Amino acid sequence: MSVLEVANLTVAFGQRGGARLTAVDDLSFSLRAGQTLALVGESGSGKSTVVRAAAQLLKPSSGQIRLDGQPAGRRGRALRSYRHEVQVIFQDPFASLNPMHTVAHHLARPLMLRSGRLRGEALDQAVYDLLQSVNLTPPQEVAAKHPHELSGGQRQRVAIARALATDPDVLLADEPVSMLDVSIRLEILNLLDRLKQDRNLAMLYVTHDLATARYFSSQIMVMYRGVVVERGPSDEVILNPAHPYTQILASAAPDPTASRQSLADARRRRQTARAARTGEVRETTLEQGCRFRSRCPHAMPVCADTPPSVETGPGHQALCWLYAGQAGADAQVQSAAGDT
Amino acid sequence: MSDERDLVLRAEHICVEYAARRPTRAVRDVTLELRRGEVLGIAGESGCGKSTLAYALTRMLKPPARQTDGAITFFPAGGTAVNVLDLAGEALREFRWNKIAMVFQSAMNALNPVTSLDKQFDDIFEAHRPQLDKTARRQRAAELLDMVGIDPARSHGFAHELSGGMRQRVMIAMALALDPEIVIMDEPTTALDVVVQREILDEIERLREELGFSVIFITHDLSLLLEVSDRLLVMYAGEVVEHAPADLVGSAPAHPYTFGLLRSFPDMRGARRELRGVPGNPPDLRHAFQGCPFEPRCEFRFEPCATTPPTLLPAAGRPGSAGRTVSAGRADGDWRVACHLHDAALRPAGPPAVLSGAPAMLSGGAQDEVTVGTDSAGGDA
Repeated sequence: MSVLEVANLTVAFGQRGGARLTAVDDLSFSLRAGQTLALVGESGSGKSTVVRAAAQLLKPSSGQIRLDGQPAGRRGRALRSYRHEVQVIFQDPFASLNPMHTVAHHLARPLMLRSGRLRGEALDQAVYDLLQSVNLTPPQEVAAKHPHELSGGQRQRVAIARALATDPDVLLADEPVSMLDVSIRLEILNLLDRLKQDRNLAMLYVTHDLATARYFSSQIMVMYRGVVVERGPSDEVILNPAHPYTQILASAAPDPTASRQSLADARRRRQTARAARTGEVRETTLEQGCRFRSRCPHAMPVCADTPPSVETGPGHQALCWLYAGQAGADAQVQSAAGDT
Repeated sequence: MSDERDLVLRAEHICVEYAARRPTRAVRDVTLELRRGEVLGIAGESGCGKSTLAYALTRMLKPPARQTDGAITFFPAGGTAVNVLDLAGEALREFRWNKIAMVFQSAMNALNPVTSLDKQFDDIFEAHRPQLDKTARRQRAAELLDMVGIDPARSHGFAHELSGGMRQRVMIAMALALDPEIVIMDEPTTALDVVVQREILDEIERLREELGFSVIFITHDLSLLLEVSDRLLVMYAGEVVEHAPADLVGSAPAHPYTFGLLRSFPDMRGARRELRGVPGNPPDLRHAFQGCPFEPRCEFRFEPCATTPPTLLPAAGRPGSAGRTVSAGRADGDWRVACHLHDAALRPAGPPAVLSGAPAMLSGGAQDEVTVGTDSAGGDA
């Protein structure tokens, strides 16, 4: 049963002296209790805009959000209760906590908003319980600290505890570990994973890191310039990517297990491919047809038309003309996936 | 110590402090050698002193940072050795950028937002190549931009008109403007996404093959360093804890911290395995350490670790230079680690299996509970 359903979400921003920029284009997804959906893409692909729209921090141009089957409240008391259920963990724990307030203050506020009667010792205890649940111990000591006395990992734990304070059903984690040191990232991700299980949370994990997306989610959506170009079970999408963009993303990630020789060969192939391509057209967003076609190694004339969503495996879809029907195209892509 | 003929830079016993009531000892007795044409990687978490070390090597430390000890020697191609710490005034200005250039982490902040790229290239040449006239300067700037894969017509533009990856390319072009022998890259790709990062790395590798400069590559991303560098140093709490050939350390780390860092990266394509990171936090560098700085976070600690500081010693059971084919400018056999586990006098039995250099122990080995993401089942679509 999906907890949060987002259907046909479109967010467009006005630009000075230009056309509107469609940051998110007709995107639909649903989050299920106890499961994580990963949203992967490069910077500027619209990942954070999806989070902000789903949290109702910005108003989408069109689209519906349903929580537990009911249309999400858009204002006043209904919006407040929506926000109790849908909480966000932001990327930067140095910016998302107020430097003037103690940890206890950060956690007590949402607790009081959630249940107005909580005061005094019961409130303190609730704060301590929250800190304990994110492994910040001893809770009495941590509660009295200010954010500057905590490390990045500890701050992010406070941010997670704050998100849990309203006892939400849905957690939207927007790059929750990208600002943290590598050695602590996994601990935070493992914590989120455990909380998701214990509290049966529905989670959206936004990241640019394919490897952690594979480990911590059951489903992955790959986003490019506002459009989901591929979605499917996480192992399928990462190990067997169908869309040329996902293939490029997967091949660009560092691979410490590769041999020197294979790295040098791969580099030479990429350099030849780059030299053969004319002109970089990185920043332009193509409104018509496939948005990836200017960077796509398999671009064809038909790509100027909007690509179809094609099932390439069980529950695995790619938005690409390569898979539209002809068996020949399939073979062509299989061989291409081999060399990238 | 290796032969001086193939060295470009040697730094010995570098110590840097940030002055305060209790000084922060950010770099503690670091010794490194950079060989001609190689990439030396420096890995470590934020606050381990890797950027401070880079500033010390380029003589760019500013108060309250102060180098309290150590010697830096630069060996120019076909010239006589230069004591970098003795340089002052015009000689120091001549050394920086001409001999040793730096690519900073944040290209967004390192480029001037209010002057055109042309003007910024002019500044470099006016200061360091006053004999060039305007046409020659413009021509050289165009060449440099073309070399890093940017349309020279862009040089009339401003930094904000470029994407993050293009800005980083411009930074690299500027670092190479005066044909330096050494380029220090401090997290050159950290702010970029993987695809652009890959392009920049390819570009660096190509330019290095063409121009033959040596690189010190600093980043927290160990998986990246294993790929790009020839040798690497792992720093922890201002000290070098392991010094190893990059192509071997990935599968045979000797220091428990290196082991922990390697385990922090999920392998994207391989089988799902234990993922744990390194529990705990780095120590406060204002304190003096009694024993090993990593001891509180180390899963393999034993008695001497809390009381005796380890020194860099040859790692037990590692391949020496014999039996390995090494490319020109590379020599192995100096795999060193600062860990009592590898000290036969303290631990006659040798290091635990996972740190002993036996192959493929990352996949199993440590007998802790396996904590792989629980969503591995695939779930319903």
